[in-house]
Amino acid sequence: MNALVIYLLLLKATATSFSGLASLPMIRDDFVVKRNMLTDQQLTTAVVSGRVGPGPNGIYVVSVGYFAGGMPGAVAGLLAVITPAFLILPLMYWIGAKAGAPRVRSAIRGVMLAAAGLLLAASLPIARDALTGTVPAVIVAASFVLLSFTRVDSAWVMVAAAAVGLIAKVMK
Amino acid sequence: MSVVSQHADSVLMTSKPTLTRLATVFLRIGNTTFGGGDPTMAALQRELVQRRSWLTAEDFALAYALARITPGTNVVAFCVAVGARILGTGGAIAGALGESLPAAMLAVLIAWGYESLRANPFAMAMITGTVAAVAGMMWASVWLLVRPQIRGSRKTIRAALIFGASFVAAWKFGITPIPVIGAAALAGFLWKEE
Repeated sequence: MNALVIYLLLLKATATSFSGLASLPMIRDDFVVKRNMLTDQQLTTAVVSGRVGPGPNGIYVVSVGYFAGGMPGAVAGLLAVITPAFLILPLMYWIGAKAGAPRVRSAIRGVMLAAAGLLLAASLPIARDALTGTVPAVIVAASFVLLSFTRVDSAWVMVAAAAVGLIAKVMK
Repeated sequence: MSVVSQHADSVLMTSKPTLTRLATVFLRIGNTTFGGGDPTMAALQRELVQRRSWLTAEDFALAYALARITPGTNVVAFCVAVGARILGTGGAIAGALGESLPAAMLAVLIAWGYESLRANPFAMAMITGTVAAVAGMMWASVWLLVRPQIRGSRKTIRAALIFGASFVAAWKFGITPIPVIGAAALAGFLWKEE
């Protein structure tokens, strides 16, 4: 697929979300549901690829671009991650003063809640794929609890989950 | 103005590094700090404000706050703002690329490796484990987004309604994200928290 189209689709998702994974529902909608350019499994792999390494979690968008269009797609993904970041410059120079206004903050909080609702909806197909037995169910629960209630690094959770998956396979 | 305060000003105004040195700091901190945005921004604060005095604490705080309301990945926006404050346009580009390029290359390497490992049952067992962890991680993200808004009954009801309506709109009715986000922003704007 055309790298420019990939860039524009990914930019639409990154430019309308406010944290790493909040762009996931829109990306799933465009790439998995509407265009069948990615499978849910590839999308999940992309998310993992952004989590196991250092750097921002939103970098998974680069892997989405790679799955959709090879190396040109990956470059499109990187540009889609970087482009909206430059919006902070005009913000810094003239909107800085207004960010504390109660109504603006209230609207931003509303967007955060919508992001959470959309994320939950997007997680259900992934959870359905993942929950194939007792071991995955334990991993889902443990990863939720660890990442919600402790300060443990998410990269270690991914490594531990891979190790548990491997051990379960070897012991079978 | 006294000599002392002039001196204090010059300390406050910070010194300017070369572009290469600034880019090196972004590369090193941005790509050795695991765990996403907040730990990275904390590490950069130590490095840029305390250790090297390239940035004032006030500019750090402004960049940190504005990064939250900038669309996209917060920490990349943060690095753009901080880079621009220190060295203008070149610094902004150094911030954006230093923070994202190595991580992007690693992510593609992992994604590429996955495709060639798919035939291996042991590699697949590990991937199946991480897929389960991703499901848990997404629920943790949901919780972390919602949790700060559960405070007091009025606020909680408001949060539950916006969150619930967004979920139902997407899951039950298949409404795409942009209208859902737009509606939630409008609801938040019209229905103030307090």
